[in-house]
Amino acid sequence: MLLADLDLRGRAFGAALADAVDAALIEAFGDLDGSGEVALVGLGSYARRELCPGSDIDVLLVHNLRGRHTADTVRSATEQLWYPLWDAGFVTGHGARTVKESIALAADDLDALTALLDVRVIAGARDLATELERKARELAARRRARVLPVLADTAELRRQRPGAIAEMLEPDLKEGAGGLRDVQAFEWGGWALGAPGGCSTLLDLDFLTADDLARVETGRELLLDIRVALQRVTNSRSDRVALQEQDAVAAQLDFESADSLVHDLARAAREIAWIAGDVWSRVRDLLDRPGAKGARFDEAFAEGVWLGKGRVHVDTDPDGSVPPLRMLDAACAAAEHAVPFDRTSLTRLRATGEPTWDVWQRAGFVRLLRSGEHAVPVFEALDHEGVLVRLLPEWEHVRSRPQRNAYHRYTVDRHLLEAVAQCARLLDAGEVRQPSGHEVDVDAVVARACRRPELLLLGALLHDLAKGMPGNHSEVGEATADRIVRRMGFDSEAREIVPWLVRNHLLMAEVATRRDLSDASVADNVAAACAADAERLRLLYLLTIGDSRATGPAAWSPSKAALVRDLFVKAATAIERGETKAVAADRRDALRQRLGEERAGVFLARLPEQYVLAFDVDTMCVHESLLSDSPTVRCERVDGGHVAITVVADDRPGLLVTLAGALTVCGLDVLEASLFGTTDGYALDVFRGADPFGRVDDDDGARVTQTIAQALAGEIDLAVRVDERRRAYAGLGERAAPEVRIDVNSEESETDTVVEVHADDDIGLLYRLASAFTELALDVRIAKVATFGKRVVDVFYVRDSNACKIEDADAVAQLRAALVDRMTG
Amino acid sequence: MKLVVAIVKPFKLDDVKTAVQDFGVQGLTMTEVQGFGRQRGHTEVYRGAEYTVDFVPKVKLEILVDDDDAPRVAEKIVEAARTGKIGDGKVWIVPVEGLIRIRTGEAGSDAL
Repeated sequence: MLLADLDLRGRAFGAALADAVDAALIEAFGDLDGSGEVALVGLGSYARRELCPGSDIDVLLVHNLRGRHTADTVRSATEQLWYPLWDAGFVTGHGARTVKESIALAADDLDALTALLDVRVIAGARDLATELERKARELAARRRARVLPVLADTAELRRQRPGAIAEMLEPDLKEGAGGLRDVQAFEWGGWALGAPGGCSTLLDLDFLTADDLARVETGRELLLDIRVALQRVTNSRSDRVALQEQDAVAAQLDFESADSLVHDLARAAREIAWIAGDVWSRVRDLLDRPGAKGARFDEAFAEGVWLGKGRVHVDTDPDGSVPPLRMLDAACAAAEHAVPFDRTSLTRLRATGEPTWDVWQRAGFVRLLRSGEHAVPVFEALDHEGVLVRLLPEWEHVRSRPQRNAYHRYTVDRHLLEAVAQCARLLDAGEVRQPSGHEVDVDAVVARACRRPELLLLGALLHDLAKGMPGNHSEVGEATADRIVRRMGFDSEAREIVPWLVRNHLLMAEVATRRDLSDASVADNVAAACAADAERLRLLYLLTIGDSRATGPAAWSPSKAALVRDLFVKAATAIERGETKAVAADRRDALRQRLGEERAGVFLARLPEQYVLAFDVDTMCVHESLLSDSPTVRCERVDGGHVAITVVADDRPGLLVTLAGALTVCGLDVLEASLFGTTDGYALDVFRGADPFGRVDDDDGARVTQTIAQALAGEIDLAVRVDERRRAYAGLGERAAPEVRIDVNSEESETDTVVEVHADDDIGLLYRLASAFTELALDVRIAKVATFGKRVVDVFYVRDSNACKIEDADAVAQLRAALVDRMTG
Repeated sequence: MKLVVAIVKPFKLDDVKTAVQDFGVQGLTMTEVQGFGRQRGHTEVYRGAEYTVDFVPKVKLEILVDDDDAPRVAEKIVEAARTGKIGDGKVWIVPVEGLIRIRTGEAGSDAL
């Protein structure tokens, strides 16, 4: 049987099977028709002699009989013709109609019409068959305004579902974009466009170039070969090349491996799909503006590049060549306006000169990458014309390269383009200003902070370029990327960062899913891998997201996104901590230069390490002089309409209570307090406060300094005075029970327990909270007060009397109780 | 037969897989899931961008075993998945009414 003869491939098999069916039908038809008024015709793939092992055999009995006679003839014909076929296991589509009936049916049903565009007479009256075919073709041409849009729409639908063959792991040979249906649709579209019909019409009307047609034909042969082999292997009608069948199909067709089969199939289908997209988009234009020759309006985009009739046009130089920059301008025009190239212009781009990668060409290339998802079809068009490999010869290696794992849904080349588009989208999100108070997206914040976003796009384009080369693709890719950015003439930072991104593009995803993120060393290691450079970390984080999203839905679950984000925030914090150390070292150096080695040394030795992080060098110099003639109080206006109060006093328990009380009595709202004890028993307490009543302006702060001095000397009963103020401003009416939340956290800081108190704002709140700490003999080292409308959040960094964190559960409970007591009491 | 279901920390997946394989388990199903336990979700801030972590990423494992093996498989999972910190997850065992291997039609313990 034909099935067993493995030398019969694709078209040869189809022809052989059609011949066999022909012979059987001719025999069955026998002398059925003596009148010359009945014909047996084959339709569709049977007519084209492109049968596959599992194909339907579409046959039609065309007749010209009338009346009672009809029924008898048809019944006997059915028995003679169809049963043998059914018995032989062929699924047949069949019917018995007059030419008129057939055409009437086709008028309402596009599938019926397209079936009649390919008709082959098998037995009986040849005239009838010819008449049927001619009338069907005439009908198609008459109905072109209806037929063509449907053909264009269904071609577009195939791109979405089932999707492009070139991009599917398990491609559908028939219905996939770039498949057999796309090829047939060219023929049908040609008939709808009129004589001479089929693809010849498309050629005549310049919808197809001869080169395009040759590529389509080559592709069709391969599709048929694979389809026949697939159906032989599966012994079914399936058109989907499932992963589990690919090895057997490849072996039958003498491919080296399933990979090379999928690769060649993808390449052929990509060509067909691209040509189909191009043809149908121009057919649509024709329908929208029948006979439109006059330009609607042309818009110059760049020198030699203009937009007209929804197409990008490119001029050549007198010598017929296109300068590389003009090609890049044209590509940017197409991507940014989301319009295709004019077909002639696209062909002209083949004559693009060798890129020299001057600053303009680099900028043009980056701009193209930045234009996002619409750059994908542009890259594909450039690749179709062989221009892309001139920019990036390495592209040859990844074109249509399949990725055979469950995560990937695209071939490598398309995956790289998707990754660029996804990264561009992340950068877009970073450019949108969120209204303040709105919940902000972390990824957008990261994107906005990027200093060199173009390096992200380059990294995305190059990250998998070494897939399929021997060795680890990240390591080999690093060297490849290095070569490329050097060739393109990028600066030294780009030459460092882009290959580094390629080398490490899997790092964050791997660490986030396989390591314990609660272990601080994990984030530290990632920070170290980024050379403690926050920019590298940002770029790598965004590349991880872009790469994963471009891989497929399985590769970027909400769960993985949360893990990677967690890792990013932790690593970013680790880097900042490192930067903090560097800032501290810089400040110390600056202070030494200002005050001299010895004075600075003595001064800094008196204060704790964190001190240098809290103030700039000027302020530190002021503190140095204040500390030499203590005790003292200083009050001055500072930026932002705030008041700064600096107090140097003998250190003692409850100092914060006294100072907070005195400031409340003065009518100042404390926003931030930084409290330092010196090694020789002094306290340096610095307050930043708001002055809602303008008290400091009245007398240059004299009253404030005086009040503080009195309070320190114990001359004021602060408890009474604070309470008076509180009652004066809060009124005496019923107070709702204050809503209080207290968080005690010993993980956040390495040295202190962080106590956060969320409460309604109230006069003297800091005073009362501070007294709770004093009562428990806790040392408050930093206090920050943030006000949100009526709510305040007071944050205290505290230690116990042994300079340790408060980690004992009982002590924490006691602290909570004391704080609540002070606020509600 | 029993179905052993476990929710574990994602980075513990490999350890758990190795542990149950060493025990002799033939296959398991894993799903990326998100949820919360007693630790609840929390809000974090990065450079002013506040984000809520309502659900914590975890991995869910499902393993079909014979009745006798169930407690020991559960124990292996507990051993392998424990870090001693909050959010280590849970393991539970549910009875299975019936089991069929689709390819061969084998049923019951033969299909394990």
